[in-house]
Amino acid sequence: MRPEPALDPTARVGRAPGSVIAVLTAHKAIRSGVLWGFIFGTFVASSAFSYVSIYRTQAQRDRLETAFGSNNATSALFGPAPQLQTVAGFTVFKVSMTLIILGAVWGLLTSTRLLRGEEECGRWELLLSGRTTRRHATAQALIGLAAGVTTLWAVTSLITVVSGLPAKIEIAAGPALFFALALVASAAMFVAVGAVTSQLAATRRQAGSYAAVVLGVSYAVRMVADSGIGLRWLRWASPLGWVEELQPLTGPRPLALLPIAAFTAALAIVAVHLAGARDLGASTIPNRSSARPHLGLLSGATGLTIRLIRPIAMGWAVAIGVSALLFGLVAKSAGVTISGSSVQQVLSRLGVTGTGVDAYLGTAFLILAVLVAFVAAGQVTAARTEESVGRLDHLLVRPVSRSSWFGGRMMVAATVLVASGVIAGVFTWLGEVSQHAGVSFTTMVAAGLNIVPPAVCILGIGALTLGAWPRATSVVVYGVLGWSLLVEIVGGIGALSHWVFDTSVFHQMATAPARPPQWTTGGVLVAIGVVSGVIGTLAFKLRDLSGE
Amino acid sequence: MGQNAIRTQGLSKRYGSLDALTDLDLEIDEGEIVGYLGPNGSGKTTTIRLLLGLIQPTAGRGEIFGLDCQRRPVEVHQRLAYVAGEANLWPALTGLETLHLLGRVQGRVDGAYRDELIERFELDPSKKVRAYSKGNRQKVILIAALMTRSDLLVLDEPTSGLDPLMEQAFRRCVHEAKGNGQTIFLSSHIMSEVEALCDRVGILRDGRLVEMGTLAEMRHLSALTVEATFDGSIPDLTRVSGVSSVQVDGRVIRCQVRGSIEPLLKVLAASGVSELLSHEPSLEELFLALYGGDGTPESAATGAT
Ligand SMILES: Nc1ncnc2c1ncn2[C@@H]1O[C@H](COP(=O)(O)OP(=O)(O)OP(=O)(O)O)[C@@H](O)[C@H]1O
Ligand SMILES: [Mg+2]
Repeated sequence: MRPEPALDPTARVGRAPGSVIAVLTAHKAIRSGVLWGFIFGTFVASSAFSYVSIYRTQAQRDRLETAFGSNNATSALFGPAPQLQTVAGFTVFKVSMTLIILGAVWGLLTSTRLLRGEEECGRWELLLSGRTTRRHATAQALIGLAAGVTTLWAVTSLITVVSGLPAKIEIAAGPALFFALALVASAAMFVAVGAVTSQLAATRRQAGSYAAVVLGVSYAVRMVADSGIGLRWLRWASPLGWVEELQPLTGPRPLALLPIAAFTAALAIVAVHLAGARDLGASTIPNRSSARPHLGLLSGATGLTIRLIRPIAMGWAVAIGVSALLFGLVAKSAGVTISGSSVQQVLSRLGVTGTGVDAYLGTAFLILAVLVAFVAAGQVTAARTEESVGRLDHLLVRPVSRSSWFGGRMMVAATVLVASGVIAGVFTWLGEVSQHAGVSFTTMVAAGLNIVPPAVCILGIGALTLGAWPRATSVVVYGVLGWSLLVEIVGGIGALSHWVFDTSVFHQMATAPARPPQWTTGGVLVAIGVVSGVIGTLAFKLRDLSGE
Repeated sequence: MGQNAIRTQGLSKRYGSLDALTDLDLEIDEGEIVGYLGPNGSGKTTTIRLLLGLIQPTAGRGEIFGLDCQRRPVEVHQRLAYVAGEANLWPALTGLETLHLLGRVQGRVDGAYRDELIERFELDPSKKVRAYSKGNRQKVILIAALMTRSDLLVLDEPTSGLDPLMEQAFRRCVHEAKGNGQTIFLSSHIMSEVEALCDRVGILRDGRLVEMGTLAEMRHLSALTVEATFDGSIPDLTRVSGVSSVQVDGRVIRCQVRGSIEPLLKVLAASGVSELLSHEPSLEELFLALYGGDGTPESAATGAT
């Protein structure tokens, strides 16, 4: 509510205008890099330590190797798993794909935030006076971002090297550094992708979405390549495939760094070039400044909500639909390799039982459930943003009651979640039925609906926070989501007690179609969501509207 | 006997240990135009957000047309329109879409007047909000409020970002609204605007209402500025009763007079004055006088962190 005093940033950091942007960007990127480096490193360390504590004997390790070593299902979802009988091989398999994707997401979010985001909210206008050109400014910002990626690598390396020291783990420093490099390579590439999309798009959200599409396609291409249907060469068509080709610890191929470096450098140059060729605040892809009016939905608060979330919801629908289709397409070939008791043992820790196609699809739906939960979290934070930036004021000073705005918003969000679940089910079915994998339509749709309750629960928890403790909304929502995700990932190794496991919203969900959906547990999750939502609505009615 | 358009009793708001608004008693009649002044952070916006039910009072209550602001917000909002000083609108909607939406939500719009306002404020409604300048976004929310012809207009720095021409257009609209019997509550930092438009003025300081009255009443309370040029020697005016803030600048003396001007005139007549100027204080001078003259606040009471 209170305007920030217009600081002169050059005065504040006491530098020549030429390097101010580099310094300011580096400052923010490094802070974020330290935080995520810790998360990366901790994940690596926890995987290595849980492996040596769970798989103590060589026999146990060999069994793991035979189960997963040539398993198309896990290979398609998480990448191939060579040398599972060693700590190093297991750790690489366990953390790689998750951290590669997390790194890419970090990269694209950080770079679109610090490039397009800063420009969008007008901060660059202050900095770009006089001598600094846009081209120069973008180059400076990229240097700052590079400092962030380097920090991410340094912190990840440090923890990886240290956790490699104990004799029972024994990973040498050199290979550990290369491993950490492989884990942050995707971050570097997607910083560059985000830098380019920040030039193409006029808003941070758009820039982020474009970059996310690149990430989605990269993942899909490597998934097909790794699913054992004879298209391995496709890996070379995907930036994430290049990272896999690095094969840290198990069979290092530093040569694969070449395309990674070339891709990053080329995109950085393109970004700087595009920045010079456009106006401040404008975008390379023209952003129409006027439009013919579409008044259809604009007759009330709920109509407005639908209009506002439509682009995002469509984006998620496409992302979920395409992922589901791909999961379905490789279901048959992947499912064939799931057999033998020790696969089931590990998968059953995640709640996935059964064999073959069903077991594979159970894991695939777990991933889809995570995506739908992200949709829910995004809806809650979007509602909070409406309030914090003051747009909600315009509705609430008119004859719109707080509960109707809040309730309407949550109802629309819940509808989007149900639709996402149905899309997940239908598109997985389309994929698997085209390959004659033989799972029925109703089973697939039920499996799709089965992933909705955890998301509804997160939506409700988010509504409660938004109602009672608005400033914490995004921390709590993404905290619950992140925690549940972490429990699922770490829990797959088998290191967790069921008490911890039970705190994950995803673990409360039966992994259909591997197991039949349990509608009572689902009902409980939904009930928690609804009750939290109602309490949230009441709290929202009674409190002050609050800004940032 | 019309009821009050706005009435507050002991309305107070605390943020932690900070008293943003203390014990506000306000009565505004229907059809009045009331200006609401005060330095940054003195509690103007807080008052307005309390009246709108966007925040809850720590103590006291507010009524609009006899309806409790906290308990019956929807009914209250049916009778008022509000303009904020910061126009954060939906970037992806065009001006026209925004006006349509806000009109539909309000439920009551004078369509012809809306089109007239769009012309008067020279707004291009086909543009997206994202592409509007600050002033143009401000025009959108001004039009959205005026087009409803609500009984009460609550305006919080409504002309921030408008150019002088548009500021004139705004004043015309306020005069029209007054002609229609609408009540207007106007918080502003533009003294000339308040002076030109308002029947009564309230002045806030550190969350307390320190003055409330017509401009004439306030002038009476305040000092007259007298400027005299002397031919010969300059008399000592500091001892003359009612005179304060004496400044000597070469042959010119400037001072303030409170109460009767007689004693001063006597002294001046006795000592060869070649030129004598006097003027009533403008609202700006009144305001500055209240806050320690010369624009330097007596106490550093300028609010925000
Ligand atoms: N949400 C909040 N939390 C804490 N303090 C607040 C909050 N909102 C306002 N304040 C404080 O309350 C006091 C009054 O603020 P208010 O916005 O009402 O001032 P104002 O008179 O409108 O000032 P301006 O002329 O700058 O608009 C200020 O000291 C401000 O810092
Ligand atoms: Mg204010």
